[in-house]
Amino acid sequence: MIGPDDSKLIAQVAQGNERAFLAIYDRYASRVHGLTLHILGDPMLAEEATQDTFLKLWSRARQYLAEQGPLLPWLLTIARRVALDRLRLEARRPMLSDTNDPDDAWQILPDSESMSEESRWRSLYFAVQALHPDQRKVINLAYYQGLSQSEIAEVLGWPLGTVKTRLRTAMEKLREDWNNK
Amino acid sequence: MPDVDHTPFIENIPAYAIGALDSGDVSALESHLTTCASCRTELAEYRTLSESMLTAVPPKQPSAALRKRLQSRLPGAQKTSGSQVTWSFSRLALGLAVIALLVLNLLSFAQLRQVQSQQARLLKQVENAQVALAMLSSPNIQTVLISGENVSGTILLDKDRNQALLIVGDIPALADDQIYQIWLVKPDGGRDSAGWFRPESGQSYTTKTISSTQTFSNYLGLGVTVEPAGGSDAPTGQRIFKVDF
Repeated sequence: MIGPDDSKLIAQVAQGNERAFLAIYDRYASRVHGLTLHILGDPMLAEEATQDTFLKLWSRARQYLAEQGPLLPWLLTIARRVALDRLRLEARRPMLSDTNDPDDAWQILPDSESMSEESRWRSLYFAVQALHPDQRKVINLAYYQGLSQSEIAEVLGWPLGTVKTRLRTAMEKLREDWNNK
Repeated sequence: MPDVDHTPFIENIPAYAIGALDSGDVSALESHLTTCASCRTELAEYRTLSESMLTAVPPKQPSAALRKRLQSRLPGAQKTSGSQVTWSFSRLALGLAVIALLVLNLLSFAQLRQVQSQQARLLKQVENAQVALAMLSSPNIQTVLISGENVSGTILLDKDRNQALLIVGDIPALADDQIYQIWLVKPDGGRDSAGWFRPESGQSYTTKTISSTQTFSNYLGLGVTVEPAGGSDAPTGQRIFKVDF
Protein backbone atom coordinates (compact mmCIF):
# COMPACT_ATOMS: atom_id res chain seq x y z
CA MET A 1 0.00 0.00 0.00
CA ILE A 2 2.79 2.40 0.98
CA GLY A 3 4.99 1.65 -2.04
CA PRO A 4 2.78 2.88 -4.89
CA ASP A 5 1.80 6.00 -3.01
CA ASP A 6 5.44 6.75 -2.35
CA SER A 7 6.25 6.34 -6.02
CA LYS A 8 3.56 8.80 -7.02
CA LEU A 9 4.60 11.28 -4.37
CA ILE A 10 8.28 11.16 -5.23
CA ALA A 11 7.46 11.63 -8.90
CA GLN A 12 5.51 14.75 -7.96
CA VAL A 13 8.37 15.95 -5.77
CA ALA A 14 10.66 15.59 -8.79
CA GLN A 15 8.35 18.07 -10.52
CA GLY A 16 8.75 20.54 -7.67
CA ASN A 17 5.48 19.77 -5.90
CA GLU A 18 5.80 21.08 -2.35
CA ARG A 19 2.62 19.40 -1.13
CA ALA A 20 3.89 15.98 -2.18
CA PHE A 21 7.19 16.73 -0.47
CA LEU A 22 5.41 17.56 2.77
CA ALA A 23 3.34 14.38 2.51
CA ILE A 24 6.55 12.36 2.35
CA TYR A 25 7.98 14.42 5.19
CA ASP A 26 4.93 13.76 7.38
CA ARG A 27 5.14 10.08 6.59
CA TYR A 28 8.84 9.52 7.23
CA ALA A 29 10.21 12.42 9.30
CA SER A 30 10.11 10.36 12.49
CA ARG A 31 11.99 7.49 10.82
CA VAL A 32 14.69 9.78 9.43
CA HIS A 33 14.99 11.72 12.67
CA GLY A 34 15.11 8.50 14.69
CA LEU A 35 18.09 7.36 12.62
CA THR A 36 19.97 10.67 12.71
CA LEU A 37 19.40 10.94 16.45
CA HIS A 38 20.58 7.36 16.94
CA ILE A 39 23.79 8.14 15.05
CA LEU A 40 24.51 11.63 16.35
CA GLY A 41 23.06 11.41 19.87
CA ASP A 42 22.49 15.18 19.95
CA PRO A 43 18.96 16.49 19.26
CA MET A 44 20.13 19.72 17.65
CA LEU A 45 22.67 18.08 15.36
CA ALA A 46 20.16 15.35 14.56
CA GLU A 47 17.55 17.89 13.55
CA GLU A 48 20.02 19.62 11.26
CA ALA A 49 20.89 16.27 9.70
CA THR A 50 17.20 15.47 9.27
CA GLN A 51 16.70 18.82 7.60
CA ASP A 52 19.65 18.24 5.26
CA THR A 53 18.31 14.79 4.41
CA PHE A 54 14.95 16.12 3.30
CA LEU A 55 16.58 18.96 1.36
CA LYS A 56 18.60 16.30 -0.47
CA LEU A 57 15.38 14.39 -1.09
CA TRP A 58 13.97 17.54 -2.66
CA SER A 59 16.98 18.12 -4.89
CA ARG A 60 17.57 14.47 -5.78
CA ALA A 61 14.02 13.19 -6.22
CA ARG A 62 14.65 12.63 -9.93
CA GLN A 63 17.43 10.20 -9.09
CA TYR A 64 15.11 7.86 -7.24
CA LEU A 65 14.21 4.74 -9.20
CA ALA A 66 11.23 2.83 -7.83
CA GLU A 67 12.34 -0.42 -9.46
CA GLN A 68 15.48 -0.39 -7.31
CA GLY A 69 13.52 -0.58 -4.08
CA PRO A 70 11.14 1.22 -1.73
CA LEU A 71 11.53 4.89 -0.92
CA LEU A 72 12.16 4.60 2.81
CA PRO A 73 15.46 2.64 2.65
CA TRP A 74 16.67 5.04 -0.05
CA LEU A 75 15.79 7.99 2.15
CA LEU A 76 17.38 6.40 5.21
CA THR A 77 20.54 5.65 3.24
CA ILE A 78 20.81 9.37 2.53
CA ALA A 79 20.10 10.13 6.20
CA ARG A 80 22.81 7.74 7.41
CA ARG A 81 25.36 9.26 5.05
CA VAL A 82 24.42 12.81 6.09
CA ALA A 83 24.59 11.91 9.78
CA LEU A 84 27.93 10.09 9.49
CA ASP A 85 29.37 13.02 7.53
CA ARG A 86 28.20 15.35 10.28
CA LEU A 87 29.68 13.02 12.89
CA ARG A 88 33.07 13.24 11.20
CA LEU A 89 32.73 16.99 10.76
CA GLU A 90 32.03 17.47 14.43
CA ALA A 91 34.89 15.05 15.25
CA ARG A 92 32.70 13.64 17.96
CA ARG A 93 33.81 10.73 20.05
CA PRO A 94 31.82 7.61 19.27
CA MET A 95 29.04 6.76 21.65
CA LEU A 96 29.90 3.57 23.48
CA SER A 97 26.64 3.04 25.32
CA ASP A 98 23.14 2.22 24.14
CA THR A 99 20.84 5.13 24.71
CA ASN A 100 17.56 3.69 23.50
CA ASP A 101 14.87 2.42 25.75
CA PRO A 102 13.41 -0.62 24.01
CA ASP A 103 10.30 -0.46 26.16
CA ASP A 104 9.00 2.73 24.65
CA ALA A 105 11.01 2.89 21.46
CA TRP A 106 8.35 1.51 19.18
CA GLN A 107 5.22 2.72 20.86
CA ILE A 108 4.19 4.88 17.97
CA LEU A 109 4.41 2.03 15.49
CA PRO A 110 1.40 -0.22 15.22
CA ASP A 111 2.06 -3.80 16.25
CA SER A 112 -0.20 -5.23 13.58
CA GLU A 113 0.24 -8.28 11.44
CA SER A 114 -1.10 -6.27 8.53
CA MET A 115 1.95 -4.03 8.86
CA SER A 116 4.29 -6.89 8.03
CA GLU A 117 7.24 -4.70 7.02
CA GLU A 118 6.98 -2.67 10.20
CA SER A 119 6.78 -5.87 12.15
CA ARG A 120 9.96 -7.19 10.55
CA TRP A 121 11.83 -3.96 11.25
CA ARG A 122 10.70 -4.06 14.83
CA SER A 123 11.91 -7.64 15.08
CA LEU A 124 15.30 -6.68 13.69
CA TYR A 125 15.57 -3.90 16.23
CA PHE A 126 14.95 -6.35 19.03
CA ALA A 127 17.36 -8.81 17.42
CA VAL A 128 20.07 -6.14 17.64
CA GLN A 129 19.14 -5.49 21.26
CA ALA A 130 19.29 -9.23 21.98
CA LEU A 131 22.90 -9.54 20.80
CA HIS A 132 25.61 -10.06 23.36
CA PRO A 133 26.56 -6.58 24.65
CA ASP A 134 30.05 -6.82 23.14
CA GLN A 135 28.62 -7.79 19.76
CA ARG A 136 26.02 -5.01 19.93
CA LYS A 137 28.75 -2.52 20.78
CA VAL A 138 30.70 -3.51 17.67
CA ILE A 139 27.62 -3.33 15.47
CA ASN A 140 26.73 0.11 16.79
CA LEU A 141 30.23 1.46 16.24
CA ALA A 142 30.54 -0.04 12.77
CA TYR A 143 27.11 0.57 11.36
CA TYR A 144 25.74 3.52 13.28
CA GLN A 145 29.02 5.34 13.96
CA GLY A 146 30.78 4.56 10.67
CA LEU A 147 33.98 3.14 12.16
CA SER A 148 36.16 0.52 10.48
CA GLN A 149 37.18 -2.63 12.30
CA SER A 150 40.65 -1.21 13.03
CA GLU A 151 39.13 1.99 14.39
CA ILE A 152 36.80 -0.03 16.61
CA ALA A 153 39.74 -2.05 17.91
CA GLU A 154 41.52 1.18 18.77
CA VAL A 155 38.48 2.77 20.42
CA LEU A 156 37.62 -0.26 22.51
CA GLY A 157 41.18 -1.39 23.14
CA TRP A 158 40.41 -4.85 21.83
CA PRO A 159 42.60 -6.97 19.53
CA LEU A 160 41.62 -6.54 15.88
CA GLY A 161 40.92 -10.27 15.60
CA THR A 162 38.42 -10.04 18.45
CA VAL A 163 36.61 -7.17 16.76
CA LYS A 164 36.43 -9.07 13.48
CA THR A 165 35.09 -12.19 15.14
CA ARG A 166 32.45 -10.33 17.15
CA LEU A 167 31.29 -8.31 14.17
CA ARG A 168 31.06 -11.36 11.93
CA THR A 169 29.27 -13.42 14.58
CA ALA A 170 26.81 -10.61 15.23
CA MET A 171 26.05 -10.14 11.54
CA GLU A 172 25.56 -13.88 11.07
CA LYS A 173 23.14 -13.90 14.00
CA LEU A 174 21.19 -10.93 12.63
CA ARG A 175 21.01 -12.48 9.18
CA GLU A 176 19.69 -15.69 10.65
CA ASP A 177 17.05 -13.83 12.64
CA TRP A 178 16.12 -11.68 9.64
CA ASN A 179 15.74 -14.66 7.32
CA ASN A 180 13.64 -16.57 9.87
CA LYS A 181 11.05 -13.83 10.28
CA MET B 1 38.20 -21.37 -12.20
CA PRO B 2 40.98 -22.77 -10.00
CA ASP B 3 40.13 -23.82 -6.46
CA VAL B 4 40.08 -20.82 -4.18
CA ASP B 5 40.03 -20.77 -0.43
CA HIS B 6 36.91 -18.69 0.17
CA THR B 7 37.30 -18.55 3.91
CA PRO B 8 39.17 -15.24 4.27
CA PHE B 9 36.88 -13.58 1.75
CA ILE B 10 33.62 -14.91 3.17
CA GLU B 11 34.70 -13.84 6.64
CA ASN B 12 35.18 -10.29 5.40
CA ILE B 13 31.86 -10.01 3.59
CA PRO B 14 29.71 -8.98 6.61
CA ALA B 15 32.09 -6.14 7.48
CA TYR B 16 32.30 -5.10 3.83
CA ALA B 17 28.51 -5.03 3.52
CA ILE B 18 28.20 -2.48 6.30
CA GLY B 19 31.24 -0.45 5.25
CA ALA B 20 33.45 -1.51 8.17
CA LEU B 21 36.09 -3.48 6.31
CA ASP B 22 39.50 -1.85 6.52
CA SER B 23 40.61 -0.28 3.28
CA GLY B 24 43.59 -2.61 3.04
CA ASP B 25 41.28 -5.62 2.72
CA VAL B 26 38.70 -4.05 0.43
CA SER B 27 40.54 -4.30 -2.88
CA ALA B 28 41.35 -8.00 -2.39
CA LEU B 29 37.74 -8.81 -1.60
CA GLU B 30 36.39 -6.74 -4.49
CA SER B 31 38.78 -8.47 -6.83
CA HIS B 32 37.61 -11.86 -5.57
CA LEU B 33 33.95 -10.86 -5.95
CA THR B 34 34.40 -10.28 -9.67
CA THR B 35 35.12 -13.98 -10.15
CA CYS B 36 33.07 -15.67 -7.41
CA ALA B 37 29.31 -15.95 -7.81
CA SER B 38 28.76 -17.60 -4.42
CA CYS B 39 30.48 -14.75 -2.60
CA ARG B 40 28.43 -12.24 -4.60
CA THR B 41 25.28 -14.04 -3.44
CA GLU B 42 26.56 -13.94 0.11
CA LEU B 43 27.23 -10.21 -0.21
CA ALA B 44 23.76 -9.56 -1.64
CA GLU B 45 22.18 -11.18 1.42
CA TYR B 46 24.25 -9.09 3.80
CA ARG B 47 23.50 -5.94 1.83
CA THR B 48 19.79 -6.64 2.21
CA LEU B 49 20.35 -7.03 5.92
CA SER B 50 22.42 -3.84 6.00
CA GLU B 51 19.64 -1.90 4.29
CA SER B 52 17.09 -3.31 6.70
CA MET B 53 19.20 -2.24 9.66
CA LEU B 54 18.54 1.36 8.63
CA THR B 55 14.92 0.83 9.51
CA ALA B 56 15.68 -1.01 12.75
CA VAL B 57 15.97 2.19 14.74
CA PRO B 58 13.20 3.60 16.92
CA PRO B 59 11.36 6.48 15.26
CA LYS B 60 11.53 9.92 16.83
CA GLN B 61 9.41 12.89 15.84
CA PRO B 62 11.44 16.06 15.13
CA SER B 63 10.24 19.45 16.33
CA ALA B 64 7.31 21.10 14.57
CA ALA B 65 9.58 24.01 13.69
CA LEU B 66 11.62 21.80 11.38
CA ARG B 67 8.69 21.33 9.01
CA LYS B 68 8.23 25.09 8.78
CA ARG B 69 11.93 25.64 8.20
CA LEU B 70 11.97 23.11 5.41
CA GLN B 71 8.97 24.75 3.77
CA SER B 72 10.73 28.09 3.77
CA ARG B 73 13.90 26.61 2.29
CA LEU B 74 12.59 24.65 -0.68
CA PRO B 75 14.12 26.22 -3.75
CA GLY B 76 11.91 26.41 -6.84
CA ALA B 77 8.76 24.97 -5.28
CA GLN B 78 5.80 24.58 -7.63
CA LYS B 79 3.74 27.31 -6.01
CA THR B 80 6.08 29.93 -7.42
CA SER B 81 8.73 29.89 -10.09
CA GLY B 82 12.34 30.47 -9.20
CA SER B 83 12.48 33.97 -10.60
CA GLN B 84 9.30 34.94 -8.81
CA VAL B 85 10.71 33.64 -5.55
CA THR B 86 13.86 35.68 -5.92
CA TRP B 87 11.87 38.73 -6.86
CA SER B 88 9.46 38.39 -3.96
CA PHE B 89 12.31 37.86 -1.51
CA SER B 90 13.91 41.05 -2.76
CA ARG B 91 10.61 42.88 -2.43
CA LEU B 92 10.19 41.58 1.09
CA ALA B 93 13.71 42.58 2.01
CA LEU B 94 13.21 46.00 0.44
CA GLY B 95 9.93 46.45 2.30
CA LEU B 96 11.49 45.45 5.59
CA ALA B 97 14.42 47.74 5.03
CA VAL B 98 12.24 50.72 4.10
CA ILE B 99 9.96 50.16 7.07
CA ALA B 100 12.95 49.78 9.33
CA LEU B 101 14.47 52.95 7.87
CA LEU B 102 11.32 54.98 8.35
CA VAL B 103 10.80 53.73 11.88
CA LEU B 104 14.39 54.26 12.77
CA ASN B 105 14.50 57.75 11.30
CA LEU B 106 11.30 58.90 13.01
CA LEU B 107 12.47 57.59 16.32
CA SER B 108 15.90 59.00 15.76
CA PHE B 109 14.61 62.56 15.40
CA ALA B 110 12.66 62.28 18.63
CA GLN B 111 15.33 60.59 20.65
CA LEU B 112 18.30 62.54 19.36
CA ARG B 113 16.97 65.55 21.25
CA GLN B 114 16.85 63.70 24.52
CA VAL B 115 20.13 62.07 25.42
CA GLN B 116 23.44 61.95 23.70
CA SER B 117 23.99 58.30 24.47
CA GLN B 118 20.86 57.44 22.55
CA GLN B 119 22.05 59.55 19.67
CA ALA B 120 25.00 57.35 18.95
CA ARG B 121 22.86 54.23 18.95
CA LEU B 122 20.22 55.71 16.67
CA LEU B 123 22.79 57.00 14.24
CA LYS B 124 24.05 53.47 14.04
CA GLN B 125 20.56 52.27 13.25
CA VAL B 126 20.23 54.81 10.47
CA GLU B 127 23.58 53.73 9.17
CA ASN B 128 22.35 50.14 9.14
CA ALA B 129 19.26 51.12 7.23
CA GLN B 130 21.38 53.05 4.76
CA VAL B 131 23.58 50.03 4.39
CA ALA B 132 20.43 48.02 3.70
CA LEU B 133 19.32 50.38 0.98
CA ALA B 134 22.79 50.51 -0.53
CA MET B 135 23.00 46.74 -0.49
CA LEU B 136 19.61 46.38 -2.12
CA SER B 137 20.91 48.40 -5.06
CA SER B 138 23.50 45.72 -5.70
CA PRO B 139 22.58 43.33 -8.53
CA ASN B 140 24.08 40.38 -6.68
CA ILE B 141 22.32 40.82 -3.37
CA GLN B 142 21.35 37.56 -1.67
CA THR B 143 18.46 37.51 0.76
CA VAL B 144 18.31 34.76 3.35
CA LEU B 145 15.04 34.39 5.22
CA ILE B 146 15.16 33.71 8.95
CA SER B 147 12.41 31.58 10.40
CA GLY B 148 12.78 30.50 13.98
CA GLU B 149 10.33 29.71 16.75
CA ASN B 150 10.41 33.19 18.23
CA VAL B 151 12.06 35.21 15.55
CA SER B 152 11.74 36.07 11.89
CA GLY B 153 13.66 38.32 9.59
CA THR B 154 16.08 38.58 6.75
CA ILE B 155 19.80 38.64 6.13
CA LEU B 156 20.98 40.77 3.24
CA LEU B 157 24.22 39.34 1.93
CA ASP B 158 26.49 40.83 -0.69
CA LYS B 159 29.40 38.46 -1.09
CA ASP B 160 30.97 40.62 -3.80
CA ARG B 161 31.33 43.55 -1.42
CA ASN B 162 31.68 41.34 1.66
CA GLN B 163 28.78 43.10 3.36
CA ALA B 164 25.92 41.65 5.34
CA LEU B 165 23.04 43.11 7.31
CA LEU B 166 20.84 41.30 9.80
CA ILE B 167 17.21 42.44 10.17
CA VAL B 168 15.21 40.58 12.81
CA GLY B 169 11.70 41.18 14.04
CA ASP B 170 10.10 40.47 17.40
CA ILE B 171 13.24 39.00 18.89
CA PRO B 172 12.69 38.37 22.62
CA ALA B 173 14.09 40.85 25.14
CA LEU B 174 17.12 39.80 27.16
CA ALA B 175 18.27 40.19 30.74
CA ASP B 176 20.70 43.04 31.32
CA ASP B 177 23.64 40.64 31.55
CA GLN B 178 22.92 38.93 28.23
CA ILE B 179 23.44 39.69 24.55
CA TYR B 180 22.71 38.05 21.23
CA GLN B 181 25.96 36.96 19.62
CA ILE B 182 26.31 36.34 15.88
CA TRP B 183 28.36 33.37 14.66
CA LEU B 184 29.59 32.59 11.17
CA VAL B 185 29.66 28.85 10.49
CA LYS B 186 32.91 27.51 9.03
CA PRO B 187 33.06 24.46 6.72
CA ASP B 188 34.75 22.46 9.49
CA GLY B 189 31.84 23.18 11.82
CA GLY B 190 33.70 25.81 13.83
CA ARG B 191 32.22 29.21 14.57
CA ASP B 192 33.68 32.70 14.18
CA SER B 193 32.16 35.53 16.17
CA ALA B 194 30.72 38.26 13.96
CA GLY B 195 29.57 40.71 16.59
CA TRP B 196 26.69 40.97 19.00
CA PHE B 197 23.56 43.00 19.54
CA ARG B 198 20.67 43.61 21.87
CA PRO B 199 17.03 44.01 20.83
CA GLU B 200 16.16 47.61 20.09
CA SER B 201 13.52 48.49 22.64
CA GLY B 202 10.24 49.87 21.38
CA GLN B 203 10.87 48.85 17.79
CA SER B 204 9.52 46.03 15.70
CA TYR B 205 12.83 45.33 14.04
CA THR B 206 16.42 45.19 15.11
CA THR B 207 19.15 45.71 12.54
CA LYS B 208 22.82 44.85 12.80
CA THR B 209 25.61 45.07 10.29
CA ILE B 210 27.66 41.89 10.28
CA SER B 211 31.40 42.21 10.13
CA SER B 212 33.93 39.63 9.13
CA THR B 213 37.65 39.73 8.56
CA GLN B 214 37.25 36.92 6.04
CA THR B 215 35.11 36.82 2.94
CA PHE B 216 31.58 35.54 3.57
CA SER B 217 32.16 32.98 0.82
CA ASN B 218 34.36 31.14 3.32
CA TYR B 219 31.34 30.43 5.52
CA LEU B 220 28.41 28.06 5.22
CA GLY B 221 25.90 30.00 7.23
CA LEU B 222 25.14 32.15 10.23
CA GLY B 223 23.65 31.57 13.65
CA VAL B 224 22.72 33.58 16.72
CA THR B 225 22.93 32.44 20.33
CA VAL B 226 22.27 34.04 23.69
CA GLU B 227 25.55 34.75 25.46
CA PRO B 228 26.73 36.57 28.58
CA ALA B 229 27.28 40.32 28.19
CA GLY B 230 30.66 40.93 26.62
CA GLY B 231 30.36 37.93 24.35
CA SER B 232 31.87 34.46 24.30
CA ASP B 233 34.72 32.85 22.40
CA ALA B 234 32.42 30.07 21.21
CA PRO B 235 28.67 29.44 21.39
CA THR B 236 27.60 28.48 24.89
CA GLY B 237 23.98 29.58 25.18
CA GLN B 238 20.61 28.90 23.62
CA ARG B 239 20.51 28.98 19.82
CA ILE B 240 17.94 31.46 18.50
CA PHE B 241 18.28 30.50 14.85
CA LYS B 242 20.70 29.22 12.26
CA VAL B 243 20.53 29.73 8.50
CA ASP B 244 22.65 28.52 5.62
CA PHE B 245 23.97 30.89 2.97
